[in-house]
Amino acid sequence: MIKRLLQPRWIAMVVLVGLLVASPAYLKDSPYQMAVVTGAFFYAILASSWALLAGIAGQFSFAHMALAGIGAYTAGILGRDLGTTPLQGIIAGTVLAGLVGLVIGILCLRLRAAYLALFTIAFSEILRIWLLTEFQFTEGSNGLMLDKLWEGITGVQEYYVMLGLLLGSMALMYWLASSRFGLFVRSMREDEEAASAMGVNVVRYKVLIFVITSLIVGLAGATFYHQVGIVTPNTMEILQMSLVIAMAVIGGMESLLGAAIGAFFSRVSLEMLREVGVFGFTIELGAWRYAAFGLLLIFTLRFAQNGLLYPIIDRLFMRGARKDTVAKRTLAEEET
Amino acid sequence: MIELQVRDVYKSFGGIQALNGVSFEIQGNQLIGLIGPNGAGKTTLTNVLDGVYRPTGGQVWFNGERIDGLPPYEIARRGLGRTFQVTRAFRRMTVLENMLVPAMALHPTARQRDFHKKAWEVLEFLTMDHLGREFARSLSGGQQKLLELGRLLMLDPDIIILDEPFAGVHPKLMETIYEYIDVVNKQGKAFIIISHDMESIFTLSQRLLVLNFGELIADGKPGAVKRDPAVIEAYLGEEEEEEEGIVLIEAGDMEDAEESDA
Ligand SMILES: Nc1ncnc2c1ncn2[C@@H]1O[C@H](COP(=O)(O)OP(=O)(O)OP(=O)(O)O)[C@@H](O)[C@H]1O
Ligand SMILES: [Mg+2]
Repeated sequence: MIKRLLQPRWIAMVVLVGLLVASPAYLKDSPYQMAVVTGAFFYAILASSWALLAGIAGQFSFAHMALAGIGAYTAGILGRDLGTTPLQGIIAGTVLAGLVGLVIGILCLRLRAAYLALFTIAFSEILRIWLLTEFQFTEGSNGLMLDKLWEGITGVQEYYVMLGLLLGSMALMYWLASSRFGLFVRSMREDEEAASAMGVNVVRYKVLIFVITSLIVGLAGATFYHQVGIVTPNTMEILQMSLVIAMAVIGGMESLLGAAIGAFFSRVSLEMLREVGVFGFTIELGAWRYAAFGLLLIFTLRFAQNGLLYPIIDRLFMRGARKDTVAKRTLAEEET
Repeated sequence: MIELQVRDVYKSFGGIQALNGVSFEIQGNQLIGLIGPNGAGKTTLTNVLDGVYRPTGGQVWFNGERIDGLPPYEIARRGLGRTFQVTRAFRRMTVLENMLVPAMALHPTARQRDFHKKAWEVLEFLTMDHLGREFARSLSGGQQKLLELGRLLMLDPDIIILDEPFAGVHPKLMETIYEYIDVVNKQGKAFIIISHDMESIFTLSQRLLVLNFGELIADGKPGAVKRDPAVIEAYLGEEEEEEEGIVLIEAGDMEDAEESDA
């Protein structure tokens, strides 16, 4: 046990978590930076759960932001109309997101990848437009106000709440990915027909992966927007979802940790690059940030398909890179 | 005792009648060859038996239970395993992980490491133990076929259906596959082997089924089937007749077979 804990990956993990737990000590004088980092945790949850859904289980869904929105809107509307506490609202929002995930999973059972993407894009857009048009109920584009998690919550407390959610969901997802569940969903990603011929109940695991990831983003969304204080239909824009996907891809789609770290740094740098001070001048980067981000994405897809971070993480935390050299070795032995 | 009964099974795709009233029975650990010209319905029969397709008519009974209409994973867990004409290894998983999938599916409460030992033993038997940690996609085509055979052993089925196990396989690996069939058959498992490789199939099988246009036109000992006029007739359309009866179909056909299923 002790020996296992002394492995580099565990040491790296402890250092990483330690840094995150300790950093409010540095950040607490700058509420803005604190909020940026807290928001980045939210995006890390989105990206890593999307990596589980799309990278590990092969379900390329665009409905992730919409499900986070469902969590937030449910909590907000219940709080406004029924006077529920934020905690009750968060629970309800999480459950509803899970139920919607269940329905999406069932409806998409027989859909091939491209159709699943189209279906979930359509779903997100319809939901967003519905939220805009039913403004008497949803406040439309003005956005729906949400109470703070509790009265007098501080930025530091909000930081720890989000960090706790991130670490908790990462632990859960890691456990899932390394258990039989992970084995089955990966076999399903590779070949559904072969997986079921090997005894895997593909239908069950496909629905389960949608439900689990929907619960996670529903919970994260409901909690995060209670901290922000307002949620608008814009959060569900396909552009937002695309950003999450890009973050996961840059970090490494098949790696929960890669996606989380990729999202964290993308989010922080996108925020920090709003304005750049050079020699006393302030340059407004505005939309140019996204152009740079897009370039980075293109670079990743072209030159580093495992993501930019995953190879590093793999070396640091995992067994080490496996090589594709066997093919060459055996090609000589065998003519096909 | 292993028992499979195929009772008057039909399967049509739109206008195409792929299986046209097929009936046969398997008792015990028989080693059966299934042959027939391209498009005869061999793969379709496999897909009906393992639950990929629901037959449009007829019934399938396995070890005293009706299984047609059950999903493939249920049929697999009941002890009917199959390989695919075009290999379907889980390419972005390691060879070892490939092996663990059926074991875990079959044993809901087991842990993965409980089956590491068995997986390594099977890989050793297949002369693939040095490849256990590699991704399946880095294996050659023949090795991927061996991997599919290995996965089957982890599923531990009563009946094993092999769809074209010899197509495109290097002679060296072919010997391993022969030995696999021999050893596993002697362990008490029944085999249905689909092949266009007449030499292999005639020497291997104890009993031969011949499909043509979805109908079972012959069922018997290889020697008798070889001289069956209906069988000779069926193969006549494809290639010229040889003195002995059935013409040995050349290696070129294997590629056709692979393509037609893709
Ligand atoms: N999914 C499908 N949809 C439509 N037609 C199909 C389908 N599968 C098979 N068929 C048709 O059913 C017939 C039997 O095909 P099958 O693949 O079972 O033949 P086979 O005996 O395995 O041939 P081969 O030796 O080429 O592998 C063919 O006419 C084929 O075109
Ligand atoms: Mg076939």
